[in-house]
Amino acid sequence: MSALVVAAVLVAGAVGAVIRYLLSKAYPVRPGHLPGGILVVNLVGSGLAGAIIGLAERAAVSDDVRLVLVTGFCGGLTTFSTWCVETIELADGGRWRAAILNVLVTLALGIGAAVGLYLLVRG
Amino acid sequence: MPPSLAVFVGGLAGTGLRLALDTALPHADGGFPWSTFIANLVGTFVLGWLAGGLWTRPSTPAWMKAGMGSGLVGSFTTLSAVMGAVAILDREEATALAAVYLGASLVAGLALAAAGLKLGSALAHRPMPTEVTDDGATL
Repeated sequence: MSALVVAAVLVAGAVGAVIRYLLSKAYPVRPGHLPGGILVVNLVGSGLAGAIIGLAERAAVSDDVRLVLVTGFCGGLTTFSTWCVETIELADGGRWRAAILNVLVTLALGIGAAVGLYLLVRG
Repeated sequence: MPPSLAVFVGGLAGTGLRLALDTALPHADGGFPWSTFIANLVGTFVLGWLAGGLWTRPSTPAWMKAGMGSGLVGSFTTLSAVMGAVAILDREEATALAAVYLGASLVAGLALAAAGLKLGSALAHRPMPTEVTDDGATL
């Protein structure tokens, strides 16, 4: 892993984090809704990661590009910690239905996006 | 400092720490992704602790919440690596391991988020936050 690749991974992760931050501000949590911004970045990032891993297996993208995009960009764009903490906060606030939905929708669509696009791209 | 810049700087550090952990604890395609598992659980506990404690102090500046929460911890933890690993484990016909990995991540993640929130609010002598104030500055 060259210094340039490491730098590219870090910058890609930071750009992903800023996009996540801006989306979570644009689509804040509202009563009766799921934490939409975080849900969207987690699903988009999971799908993108599946697709790029599939492309890398077909040697359509190099290992370095995979590292920058999957570990860097998708890793920075998506988040596990906010998903869990917001779910607990919803449950503590008595919004059990939203908490359970936040878990199930993220899991089902996240697996669907990542595995589906991986299989589709790999062919 | 503008919050977006703090997120960028925090994102550089969080991604770097995750990359370092991935490099230190490599795993085979059909193996358990320990580095992602550890990063996600440590990050989730820390974020819960911050959200229950420091975040509830009125004097905590917005850029600090954004940089540490959305930036550092948010980019240290990842959902895409979990889902990507599930796709690879499925290909390796290690579907049972994929299910164990997902289940353990979810159960431990929720438990550590709750424990972090509880510890953070207990140490700050404040009630646990029940309002999700995800304006991006909080988490």
